[in-house]
Amino acid sequence: MDFGALLHTISTITPDRPWGIDIPNYFWFTGSSAAAFIISSFAHVFGMKEYKPIAGFSLLLAFVLLVAAPMNLIDDLRQPGRIINFFFYGWENFPTSPMKWGVLLLIAYPLLILVEALVLYRPYFWFSKGVVRSQEQVEKDHHLGVILGAIGIPLALSVHGYTGYILGAVHAIPLFHTPLMPILFLASAMVSGTGLLIILLPIFQKFFTDFKQVDMEMMQRLARLLSWFIVIDLVIRFFWLTFAITFNGEEKYALKLFFGENFWEVLIVDYVICLFVPMIIGFTSYLTRSFKWVLFGGILSAIGVWIFRWNTVIGGQSIGKTTPFLLEYHPHFSGFDSTVSVLSNWSLLIALIALVMVLFPWDKEMANYYVKQGDR
Amino acid sequence: MDEKEPQQSRRGFVKSATALLGAAVLAAPSAKAMSLTNPGRERGDERYIGQEGKRFGMVIDLRKCVGCQACTSACKSENKVPHEKFRTYVPEYELGSYPNVHKAFLPQLCNHCAEPSCVSVCPTGATFVRKDGIVVVDNEICWGCGYCINACPYDKRYFNPITNVADKCTLCAHRVDHGLLPACVESCVGGARVFGDFNDPHSAVSKLLSSFPTTVLKPASGTKPRVFYIALSGEIQGLPYSLKALDDMARKIDGMPTTREWSTKGE
Repeated sequence: MDFGALLHTISTITPDRPWGIDIPNYFWFTGSSAAAFIISSFAHVFGMKEYKPIAGFSLLLAFVLLVAAPMNLIDDLRQPGRIINFFFYGWENFPTSPMKWGVLLLIAYPLLILVEALVLYRPYFWFSKGVVRSQEQVEKDHHLGVILGAIGIPLALSVHGYTGYILGAVHAIPLFHTPLMPILFLASAMVSGTGLLIILLPIFQKFFTDFKQVDMEMMQRLARLLSWFIVIDLVIRFFWLTFAITFNGEEKYALKLFFGENFWEVLIVDYVICLFVPMIIGFTSYLTRSFKWVLFGGILSAIGVWIFRWNTVIGGQSIGKTTPFLLEYHPHFSGFDSTVSVLSNWSLLIALIALVMVLFPWDKEMANYYVKQGDR
Repeated sequence: MDEKEPQQSRRGFVKSATALLGAAVLAAPSAKAMSLTNPGRERGDERYIGQEGKRFGMVIDLRKCVGCQACTSACKSENKVPHEKFRTYVPEYELGSYPNVHKAFLPQLCNHCAEPSCVSVCPTGATFVRKDGIVVVDNEICWGCGYCINACPYDKRYFNPITNVADKCTLCAHRVDHGLLPACVESCVGGARVFGDFNDPHSAVSKLLSSFPTTVLKPASGTKPRVFYIALSGEIQGLPYSLKALDDMARKIDGMPTTREWSTKGE
């Protein structure tokens, strides 16, 4: 006899869950920021010359994403006016509350990127004022940039890793509770960050530079990079799910129920359409020669990671702790933590991208790689 | 002009800026005392400290529970629990399969765990354990992030729509501190709920613990609950979520709308 048939819940209450649509969006922003920073560090720290042209652009993108990200968090709070309490109280829980680590990380990381961007673009700001700089000064700046980038890499990994940690530490929710969660978050972050670069780079190169042409070679490189990130992401997801189903614990039943009920949204849309398809595109050189296919893969992967964040945060909370079966989430249309507030956050992000890209001479720096000295 | 002057003025600026910043830092939470933990506890407020040397908890004798929900309503009126929110309630289960079935009731409330997962994750120190083991929320400090609500394996926390912060059962600490019993205990018609001090070997709860086999909900979560059950059926001890509820089916039949943000998933 099926054990399950022995028990029916006749009546109980339906509990509300605390984290709404803002939270997957927050995770998407911080993750993409970490990825953009790492890609910029390919050139700045690891000296990979092929990523030099987009290193500055990518660094600015990392900064903007991280400035916009905490707005999602504040919007999700029921008492946003008490944000000061986060800084003043509760320090005794610092070792056990991953959310508390955000006090330090969310301040240190954007500051560091800002300083690095200022150092990187200093010659361009100075050049426009007619100041001539010595080779020694330039080298000093370069050295400082490398140091800041080197500090930034663990910081970027920590900023996104801690968000995964926040979920992973929640033992009460089987879908969250895995030590792999921070790594899983980082792997999917690399996917969405690269996807976002594939979307934004051609827009900015085509419309907001003097040379007005898309670097197709760079797009191909990013598409290939994206595919490798997807491979890593899929491998970690494989570990996560297979570890959970080996033993007949609570997690196995919860995950079976969850993935069974949400088969279409989770496995088909997220895994097959949004990860597998872009991976195939990136690895097929015939397809990567086409701008449209590369862009399509980038868009799919960026959306796919958003869906993954949604499925994890909302899906995890949909699993009942004291109530049978699953819960369903319907975000409010307007007000705090609603569809409109997430759209507003995206508007804020776009406005910030526009502002930062206007203030920083990224196009002059990028032109160095695309325009020959004589043509300028 | 003296060469040192610019340096001095810069230093002066740094000094005054530091002083200003310091003053701002101190003035911001001026209503509450400065504290790295929780201002109420630092102040030594009795409501925050509780009764030293005691360890409060509850033993629920399920053989005596008739599922009348007197505890649910007493709690709601005593603690002004908002509409559609509950600090305690009694779910109803059907055990077995036809024709061998019987009903089971499972009164639930915050377990006032010895190792509460809600407390360790709180980033503002708003939720904490009093010296007598009662877990409470400081509704002036809580910023409503909901981390504790997700961390509780028993689903015994909710957002209070009036205070807009996390809220939960306090074991009626305001009554207990005046020598009274929690409202749910006092109103229990079958005498199923027994409240007391586990540190006192002569208390009713200590005697019940030593006289009967007892168990707790979700023992594997490692939170060491201090609400013990007598005669708890193994089938419902782990509060399994692998089944569809009869009220889900009823909702489907009745075509109930899902206007709430979170609702039971219909099939």
